[in-house]
Amino acid sequence: MKRLHRFFQTPEAIAGALILALLVAIALAAPLLFPGDPQAIAGPALLPPLQNWSLPLGTDRLGRDVLAELFHGARTSLAVGLAAAAAALLVGAVVGTLAGFAGGLIDEVLMRITDAFQTVPSFLLALAFVSIVGPSLGVVIAAIALGAWTGPARVARAEVLSIRERDYVAGARVIGMHPLEIAFREVLPNALPPVLALSSVIVAAAILTEAALSFLGLGDPNRVTWGGMIAEGRTVLRTAPLLSIVPGIALVLTVLGVYLAGEGVVESTAVRRSLS
Amino acid sequence: MTVLAVSNLSKRYRRGGKPFAAVDDVSFEIGPAETLAVAGPSGSGKSTIARLVLRLLEPDAGRIQFEGADLLILSGAALRARRARLQMVFQDPLAAFNPRSTVARALDDPLRIHGIASRSERPRRIAALLERVGLDAGLAARAIHEISGGQRQRVAIARAIATRPSLIVLDEAVSALDVSVRGQILDLLLDLQRQERIAYLFISHDLGVIRALAHRIVLLEAGRVAESGDARTVIASPQSAVGKALVAATPRLNRIKTP
Amino acid sequence: MTALLSIRDLTVRYRREGVEVTALKGISLDVEAGERLAIIGESGSGKSTLALAVAGLLAEAAEVGGSIEWQKPRSSHSVTASHFQPLGGRDIGFVFQDPSFSLDPVMPVGKQIAEVARTHLNLTWREAYAKAKTLLGRVRLPDSEAALRAYPHQLSGGQKQRVAIAAAIAAAPKLLIADEATSALDTIVQAEIVSLIRGLVNEDGLTLAFISHDIALAATLAERIAVLRHGELVELGDTDQILNAPRHAYTRMLLDAHLGLDAKPLLDRQGASA
Repeated sequence: MKRLHRFFQTPEAIAGALILALLVAIALAAPLLFPGDPQAIAGPALLPPLQNWSLPLGTDRLGRDVLAELFHGARTSLAVGLAAAAAALLVGAVVGTLAGFAGGLIDEVLMRITDAFQTVPSFLLALAFVSIVGPSLGVVIAAIALGAWTGPARVARAEVLSIRERDYVAGARVIGMHPLEIAFREVLPNALPPVLALSSVIVAAAILTEAALSFLGLGDPNRVTWGGMIAEGRTVLRTAPLLSIVPGIALVLTVLGVYLAGEGVVESTAVRRSLS
Repeated sequence: MTVLAVSNLSKRYRRGGKPFAAVDDVSFEIGPAETLAVAGPSGSGKSTIARLVLRLLEPDAGRIQFEGADLLILSGAALRARRARLQMVFQDPLAAFNPRSTVARALDDPLRIHGIASRSERPRRIAALLERVGLDAGLAARAIHEISGGQRQRVAIARAIATRPSLIVLDEAVSALDVSVRGQILDLLLDLQRQERIAYLFISHDLGVIRALAHRIVLLEAGRVAESGDARTVIASPQSAVGKALVAATPRLNRIKTP
Repeated sequence: MTALLSIRDLTVRYRREGVEVTALKGISLDVEAGERLAIIGESGSGKSTLALAVAGLLAEAAEVGGSIEWQKPRSSHSVTASHFQPLGGRDIGFVFQDPSFSLDPVMPVGKQIAEVARTHLNLTWREAYAKAKTLLGRVRLPDSEAALRAYPHQLSGGQKQRVAIAAAIAAAPKLLIADEATSALDTIVQAEIVSLIRGLVNEDGLTLAFISHDIALAATLAERIAVLRHGELVELGDTDQILNAPRHAYTRMLLDAHLGLDAKPLLDRQGASA
């Protein structure tokens, strides 16, 4: 409760939380408000917004309901962003903990692999991965996570290196605890706070990467995505610019919301730490 | 009969590119229910010896016989199993526990790892351990950071005796405690020693505490044994330079003696 | 004797995790000019809070009641206000328990001491460095020329504490506060630092407030001892009286709990032997 109270003390955090809440509501409401396939034809093509109250945002080039696409697109953006970030954080935390705790050869090997991933631009990595394996939701998530786990791995390793010298880790060895249990039960949970602080940036970046992949036609073809909508609208940019602008604004607001809320969380925990 | 026999133990480090011996050719023995104090100024190698004996550090040379068997040839699961008999209590009881731990979890770990009690039986064993070290069994649910320093050190002792060890290494285990608490902890340690016949390797810089508790003493200087023998005899008339310096530096209460 | 400072009914409260903690409850105490006063107590006694309050170093969030009044200085500083406000560093030197925290790790120790002298004594850098060198000699660092250029990490714990003491006395303060200044050191180094402080205090006529948890150590240095417990002053008296005729049961308990080299070993009392 106290932490929640502190979180809501900065206007940025409140704004971020409001945007995120709205987005989550939209994503959850999408199948209720717009049952059926959002990619089905709903009316005449290129109907401008605010002309027909059953299609408030009009239709796209193929006569699909833009509002329904926007709502269903929120589902994809959120799902992919959160899942990719969670996968990246999990892989990063595990690799970083193993490298930092084991030291020696294991550390060397794991960190050189991390270097290798970090030197390749993450978007190129995702692009190559999806092109080879083929676009589907799971593959897109894996592709984005592939380029995002190195940051958490480095932060986790640095934290583990300092924690493993503490008395309580020696104490765990003295009572005969297995090294893997020490690493993952005693050390990792205490190394997590700075790793989790990266999550807002990673989620925001994952949402943008997903949009970029969809824009290039490498998203899951069976799902509506904002990136795909922007790409669709591009062909009629002169006559119906809103078809690209509306999903673009949704994207910007989402990334902003994730970032602001994430910073709010980091800020409120930082205050807590400095007090104790 | 000895519990621990350390012979010709050495450990070298590199400091600023130059090798230096933290522990240099140190030998000693501890018998059952005996307290051996290891004393010396900071940097004399006391804590390194504690960590070598516990296999938290690997020596460069020497032998460690524990309960009649070579401790240094053990590794992996065999070493972890052996640790049940060889325990440790640290100086700072707050740093010695996982900051997220509760009292119950800290005591549950050794019982679980060494298969001493089944899952259903463990809460009762934890309550008994807490009572054994003079704490209320109701303390089990509390977080480690919620209890006082003295209570924490009692929990650390309970954790150390959970696996029925024959030797406990006490690394400055009472140095961070308030004097009013220190006496009670020393009483508890003596009581446990008498009841359970536990031997103590008592690492300390405080000759007053050593004299109150230890049977024998090893005085270190720069990693080497400067002097050893009966604790009270050595402290009463130290022969080595470091022994004389330590005795001279120990503050005295100049109270007028009243009969 | 004149009082260097008079503490009247000092109360300090602060909030920690939403809970109000009273660190000091109505402390009244005079510190005489030129005396060596020990303030002893266990953890939570408020002894460090008292030291910080006297030095004006309490956190801003702390709620302070009562007063700390300083004697007006005879000379120099043109003070027009009725109360003289002492300045940390110039009028009060403070030595903390852990010198690693009070010394800047990336600045040579000579510069850190010279900075204090330069700021408060209006010296040029050259003069300030000469002063720093003298001070390092006074705190008996073996090679004061080399020590000037050393960084804190190149020094041992005892040497760092000597540097911290040199910085604390650099501006010739009237009051030197040593807050558990020897607690992190081993017995031998502790005795050396105590003897160093005793020497410096005598030579410069400093007033000393020696904060410690160790009554025996405090007694070797102090003329008067104040015993604190749970934020209250339980006893104040001359060292002889405190040691030999303590009035308060708590003081007696502290004395009895001391394990000196003449105490009866616990081993005997319990009748155990091996």
